[in-house]
Amino acid sequence: MLPVIGFIIFAIFVASIWILFKNKKRISSNPLGRFFFGLILVLLTIGAVNYFLVGINANRLYFWQQTIYGVSLGSVYALIALGYTMVYGIIRLINFAHGEIYMIGAYAGFFAVTSLGLHFFLALIFAMLTSALAGVLVERIAYKPLRKAPRLAVLITAIGMSLLLQNAGQKAFGSIPRSFPRQFTGLYRIGELNIDQSRAIIFVVTFLLMVILQYFVTYTKPGKAMRAVSQERDAAQLVGVNVDRTIALTFFVGSLLAGAAGILVAIVFPQIRPTMGLMPGLKAFVAAVIGGIGIIPGAVLGGLIIGVSENLVTAYISSSWRDAIAFGLLILILLLKPSGILGRNLKEKV
Amino acid sequence: MEKHPNRINHSPIFIFLALTALVFINIQVFLDRLDFYVIGVLSVVAINIILVVSLNLINGITGQLSIGHAGFMAIGAYTTALFSIHLGTPIFFNLIVSALAAGFVGFLIGLPTLRLRGDYLAIATLGFGEIIRVILQNLRLTGGAAGLGGIEWVDSFFLTQFVAIAVVIITWRIGGSAPGRAMVAIREDETAAETVGINTTKFKVMAFALGSSGAGIAGSLFAHRMTYISPDGFTFMKSIEVLVMLVLGGLGSITGAIFSSTLLTLLPEFLRVIDEWRMIIYPALLVIVMIFRSQGLFGTMELDFGQVKHLIEKIIPKKPVGEPDIPQPKSEVKLSFSGGDIEEKDPILETKELSISFGGLKAVRDFDIQISRGALHGLIGPNGAGKTTIFNMLTGVHCPNKGDIIFNGERVNGKSPNSLARAGIARTFQNIRLFKDLTVLDNVKVAFHLQAEYGLGTAIAHPPSFGKAENRITREAKELLKVFNLIDHSMTIAKNLPYGAQRRLEIVRALAVSPKLLLLDEPAAGMNTLETLKLMELIRWVREEFNLTILLIEHDMSLVMKLCQTISVLDYGIKIFEGTPEEVRNDPRVIEAYLGEEVS
Repeated sequence: MLPVIGFIIFAIFVASIWILFKNKKRISSNPLGRFFFGLILVLLTIGAVNYFLVGINANRLYFWQQTIYGVSLGSVYALIALGYTMVYGIIRLINFAHGEIYMIGAYAGFFAVTSLGLHFFLALIFAMLTSALAGVLVERIAYKPLRKAPRLAVLITAIGMSLLLQNAGQKAFGSIPRSFPRQFTGLYRIGELNIDQSRAIIFVVTFLLMVILQYFVTYTKPGKAMRAVSQERDAAQLVGVNVDRTIALTFFVGSLLAGAAGILVAIVFPQIRPTMGLMPGLKAFVAAVIGGIGIIPGAVLGGLIIGVSENLVTAYISSSWRDAIAFGLLILILLLKPSGILGRNLKEKV
Repeated sequence: MEKHPNRINHSPIFIFLALTALVFINIQVFLDRLDFYVIGVLSVVAINIILVVSLNLINGITGQLSIGHAGFMAIGAYTTALFSIHLGTPIFFNLIVSALAAGFVGFLIGLPTLRLRGDYLAIATLGFGEIIRVILQNLRLTGGAAGLGGIEWVDSFFLTQFVAIAVVIITWRIGGSAPGRAMVAIREDETAAETVGINTTKFKVMAFALGSSGAGIAGSLFAHRMTYISPDGFTFMKSIEVLVMLVLGGLGSITGAIFSSTLLTLLPEFLRVIDEWRMIIYPALLVIVMIFRSQGLFGTMELDFGQVKHLIEKIIPKKPVGEPDIPQPKSEVKLSFSGGDIEEKDPILETKELSISFGGLKAVRDFDIQISRGALHGLIGPNGAGKTTIFNMLTGVHCPNKGDIIFNGERVNGKSPNSLARAGIARTFQNIRLFKDLTVLDNVKVAFHLQAEYGLGTAIAHPPSFGKAENRITREAKELLKVFNLIDHSMTIAKNLPYGAQRRLEIVRALAVSPKLLLLDEPAAGMNTLETLKLMELIRWVREEFNLTILLIEHDMSLVMKLCQTISVLDYGIKIFEGTPEEVRNDPRVIEAYLGEEVS
């Protein structure tokens, strides 16, 4: 019974978002406006879900606690999703290897903390740079030669790179999970709610990175080049944008964020293993699609939606249904609004 | 006879080698010379062939990117497991039930998701594949994460092999039939496929359901071979494995699918020697193949059984038995359609207050037109006046916001492009939209789709009537090509034709739909004077020969003025004038629209 209820709730949830967006053209014309509008809707929905669930499990505190956990998990998804969405925006490729870049970030962080004995924030930077390097290398080796190839070929290559990195990881690090040393064990209390220091750090770091990213993409010259290439590659080249370098930069930035996500997730879920990238990678991509692929605020919104939904499903239904919720949401959004919550419908020109 | 460009040279040799290998293996198995493990591997080869060939129907032939094939395999496997465990049904029964179950789920999932294109469809199928797995993991009926055991053990190499061959033959036959051509047309250009009357949704769902039922069959065989199944066997990685096999062989090539699924199943067995590195070599190989040969090993190349037939006929001359070839009259063109009765009084096409806007832009406003049967009507106007938009509304590509389209006495707005094509409206495109990677002949044969009076069942069963229908289609397609002087190019890939010939081919393709009304969107664009003159003759001839009504957009004024009886002039989405060429030439409003306001 519970799964059915859960599913109905989410159906109503997504449908309401969709209907509101259809009618609020003014809000939806501005991406940032849409982001906040979406966020408000999400909060409203969470409230509604809360009201609904309290009837079943009369513990309001538990609900908000789970929502907070969901937000921190969602921030991690959001960080990974940003890389997906940027890469998709610029070369229309679902970079399946992105989940492995995230895994590399986790391992880089692990070795930085254990072997090199770095402070956590230095390790964070180290992990980000290592991931970024790996991301750029993957682009250079596997995707650059295929720039003019059919898109399916590039997609298959991405899947191949993903498998390759995963298995190389198994060889290099062993398939036994490593345990990331405990970092932040503090606990903040707001009213009756507990917020662990580690989750707070995830959220704050994610938020900072997103603000920096938004600034970078909107106002700096390389950021503008990125947007130009994603809209019309040939025209960008004609006005003097170095397309290859811009694409490499996109991979660099996207992988930086994935690396950050890798090490950040390890402070809450300390088990790291070579296959850890697969599921979060897929779900982060789903997040990017839900928010509207190619749209930066969309990726964040999608990440948060998935993170919160997953935690609520785990809390109220069963952890074994956890993996289904992201894909269920995905299919719902694809059927209702394929361009994503913040996206716009594009018609093919005939 | 000219060779189809995607047929493999020296096919008879390869077919002979493959058959020899098959016979050799069968003798070995029959004499019990192979050990248990080897036979098992051979059965897995056959199962993988079924998976890859059925995925090829969706991804290769129809061009829809599905990456959740393992989900459908799981449905087949679990259906078989449940029937076998609880009812003890025999494998033949289970095979059929599993195929139906997976096909049905494929149908249910395909219906809503196939509206999505490309990557989005891929993600949706991935999502469904995962959801199917999670559901299996959670249902008590399917044994949860532990899976189901105690399935009747049937590891018949011969049966598996037989089923695999049957699946290959069925797919092959679908590929060579009208439904198969419709699927390929969807892969090449969905919009163009619609305008030649192909119900793209129907064929996409059909391909998806058929492909899924193939996966169901594979799952059923798998379950009977393993006797124990769990959700872990049908993860995303399994889907990817199948996809990799398909892509390595070449999307759209059944030959390639068979070759690469055999190769990639056997290769790891040999690589077991260096087992440790297997999982690294395998994906690396994939990346390398993609970088250096992104169309896969075979591209869309297929073995040519026609050559074998030819060879056999050479060695053993065929005795003239049965019905002799009826000689075709060579001089006159004989085609089985016509644009209808030209004598009827009511207009063939009428629009009333037709309007459409895109965002704030009112592209066409209150457009009224009446076209009488057999007319040659011109539509002119400066760039951006809304001419092509009107065509798009008339052919159902865009839905008008306001107004009516009455075709042949029936209100048709809001109908899909394919049903309008069926009703008798055919068109060409301003920016040529041929099925670029198909041969000239196949381009026309696709458009004869509506006249193929047989369905999927006939295509698979191959009764004599199928051959007759196919022969008729080929004959008529060739006759049309002859008229348009394209017959020498019939085996050329369409994109390699010279520009003018491509435009002519588009007209041929539109005619093959057997329309009553033909819409030509700038047929003379990019042609030189001589070509334009020839085209003019051709348009006139076509109209008389097939009793057609023609509506024509053109910028070449000399062509429009000489050809059309009536001309409508469009400017900023509004019809500003309509009349004979003479009147149009002298109307001040028309002159103003084209040359700007007179300076006084």
